[in-house]
Amino acid sequence: MSDAIVETKPRRRINLGFDKYSGLYVWGLLIVVFSLWIPDLFLQVDTFKQVLTFQAISAIVALGLIIPVAAGAFDLTVAGTLTVSVCFTAWALLNHYGVVVAVGGSLLLGIVFGLVNSVVVVKLKVDSFIGTLGMSSILIAVAYMITDSSQIVLSTEGYAPFFEFARTEIFGLPRSVYYAAAIAVFFWWILEYTPGGRYLYAVGGNPVASRLAGVRVGRITTIAFVASGLTSAFAGIVYLSTIGTATPDSGSGYLLPAFSAVFLGATQIRPGRVNVIGTLVAIFLLATGVTGLQLAGAPSYVTELFNGAALIIAVALAARTARRRG
Amino acid sequence: MTTALSVRNATKIFGAQVALDQVSIDVEPGEVRALVGQNGCGKSTLIKILAGFHEPEPGTEVTVGGQTLDFVDPVASERVGLRFVHQDLGLVGNLDAVDNMALGQGYVTNFARTIRWRTERANAREALAALGYDINVRVPVAGLQMSERTAVAIARAMSPRGTPAKMLILDEPTANLPGAEAQRLYQLVRRVADSGVSVLFVSHHFDEVFEMAESVTVLRDGKHIITRPVEGLSEDELIELVVGRKLDEHNKRDAAAREHGPEVLTISGVGGGTVKDLDLVVHRGEVVGVAGITGSGREEIASLVFGGHERSGEISVDGTVLPENRPDVSIERGVALVPAERHANASLLDHTLRENITLVDPGRHMTMGILRRRPERADVQVWLDRLDVRPANSEFTMMQLSGGNQQKVVIARWLRQEPSVLILDEPTQGVDVGAKADIHRMVDEAAAMGAAVLVTSTDHEELVRVCDRVVIMRRGRAVDVLRGDQISADNITAATIGRDTNEPAA
Repeated sequence: MSDAIVETKPRRRINLGFDKYSGLYVWGLLIVVFSLWIPDLFLQVDTFKQVLTFQAISAIVALGLIIPVAAGAFDLTVAGTLTVSVCFTAWALLNHYGVVVAVGGSLLLGIVFGLVNSVVVVKLKVDSFIGTLGMSSILIAVAYMITDSSQIVLSTEGYAPFFEFARTEIFGLPRSVYYAAAIAVFFWWILEYTPGGRYLYAVGGNPVASRLAGVRVGRITTIAFVASGLTSAFAGIVYLSTIGTATPDSGSGYLLPAFSAVFLGATQIRPGRVNVIGTLVAIFLLATGVTGLQLAGAPSYVTELFNGAALIIAVALAARTARRRG
Repeated sequence: MTTALSVRNATKIFGAQVALDQVSIDVEPGEVRALVGQNGCGKSTLIKILAGFHEPEPGTEVTVGGQTLDFVDPVASERVGLRFVHQDLGLVGNLDAVDNMALGQGYVTNFARTIRWRTERANAREALAALGYDINVRVPVAGLQMSERTAVAIARAMSPRGTPAKMLILDEPTANLPGAEAQRLYQLVRRVADSGVSVLFVSHHFDEVFEMAESVTVLRDGKHIITRPVEGLSEDELIELVVGRKLDEHNKRDAAAREHGPEVLTISGVGGGTVKDLDLVVHRGEVVGVAGITGSGREEIASLVFGGHERSGEISVDGTVLPENRPDVSIERGVALVPAERHANASLLDHTLRENITLVDPGRHMTMGILRRRPERADVQVWLDRLDVRPANSEFTMMQLSGGNQQKVVIARWLRQEPSVLILDEPTQGVDVGAKADIHRMVDEAAAMGAAVLVTSTDHEELVRVCDRVVIMRRGRAVDVLRGDQISADNITAATIGRDTNEPAA
């Protein structure tokens, strides 16, 4: 960062990519360790399937969150939007509005919440962290209003077509996994191969410079919030279709894992930038670790412990490599 | 009576450069003295020695009211009665006057170490009243007028702190003040002087030298040129003393202007910030410079014209009017801005050079819905080579480059757009000599290719090097134009600091 010209040393070294792909190595290491430790429990097709299925919803939420974070804005409403979506869909189905209204209405709500977030952040100029923190509280209130503070249980028999939406298996995996994969491919294309992706990262990198280079900073931020709102609402629909029960705290467990995955992901593949593949690696790395430990008999709180510790360690290591490089 | 400040043989050498060479000056109690000279003449070095930031060479002697100053630290300077107010005032904007004044001296507390707010407020009010100001001391200073903030800073500097203040030293006190507020400051300084405290102020504004000072000291190239009373001194004489030679009577002569080609950029009646009523036309292939001291509006013009801010008046490019505050539309119409302070305003530091250069239209190499990296890299490579950016690797991040190379990348971003209007604000700020020459060459080329170029700069040699015409800004207005042979660094300097004769003071 000094004014000296940085010369590249043309020294050839075998680069195993420990900086970019450390997550993949750790993931591989975890699989090997658990395979040797508890082969009869861990090395099962069911374990593999279980990890993928359980993580599909988390992955969709985290993928949606990547977009605003790339543009330098926090969106703490992702879990709240998911909750409202779960509750609204369940309420609409229970009251016989039909699947189209239930699902369409949920997605529309996701878009509206994204727009409200963007008004708060772009027009009212509230810091995104604070603005969306406030909004997330409001969304919990909305969820309570919809459910009348109670639980909505959809019977498997009564709503079979809706449950097929996420549960029907293709090649042994539920559809929810394919939805997550499709969203991942879509956002990966947007971020890596379209001008929109460049604008998102540019706004996240330096909004002042971006504006002076002709980027519509406000518009990009709005689009980012709408994208994460819509994606979270979709995650809510998948959640309800998978679980079948709606409560005002359905989404409470999704906020931290989504942020962990996105920030952990930013240390992978393209260090320093939130990105789709890094986020997926992070999600499955954490899930593998947690599942393995649980199968080995660890208590249930290991999930939170492992997620928190992994996030801090990974980001600290990334900060160290960034210092060394800069 | 003893002399308030006596400086003997002040010398300071930085490496091979003599910044201050055997300077001796005396200031009497209650005297108001102006210290003037061009950038790099040694005036700030002298102030920093007095403030205890620089240790001078042996042989330098400074006494304040008879007490010898040890050049150890700022506390030593304060102890002998020297007080400083810097250009940025050093106030904390969201604190009120009471808290700001307590920053330097601590609070008055009772036996339980509780702050005695009533006493504090009364003291603050009294200190400000002594300077002729009646200010609400309980509102954040950011909400006060500039002259009121200056008063708070001066009141803080003047407060006793062990030893009474003997000498107040102001660095560019009116740099940020509009006319009427400057008048209030002059009165304030008068009051300080009347109380027996001497005032030494550094200034680029000749207005304030003539309005405020009784005497003036001129430094040039680190040497003391003259100290004399202001009375009987004309502005032209003072300019000559500062610059060191006689100047052309530029404003009376209208040399053959080099205004060629059709009008491209037309600015009429534009105002915003400190800029008022700006009229300017830049022709195809012409390079127009804008010069002015800080606070003259020079630093705001580039962004105003580009559409980075709200403004009044009308700006058109090839006859099409540009909307205000819409950089994206300006860019579409062929306007390009290379802003000042590239880190804050132009760089994505952790992005690659490729991404930095193609930021304006990243979609250029998109086929079938996919951005193609290979043609993009090849495209960027051409520009890196053309501007001789080192290292010329499109995948390096901006952060890995030196300042001059970063600036070239920013310029490449805009030249790649083949703009019809190219605006450059301080294009070679913090750039080494080699890169500077390259950048100047690129400006020549852009004009030769038919761009209308507007350059704002504090580097007067730079304006001489690249411009066909130089517009002079003073107090928000374009007051003068230099053309052809009139364009010289000395003439520009003289014109920027000249006294406004066509405007009523205040």
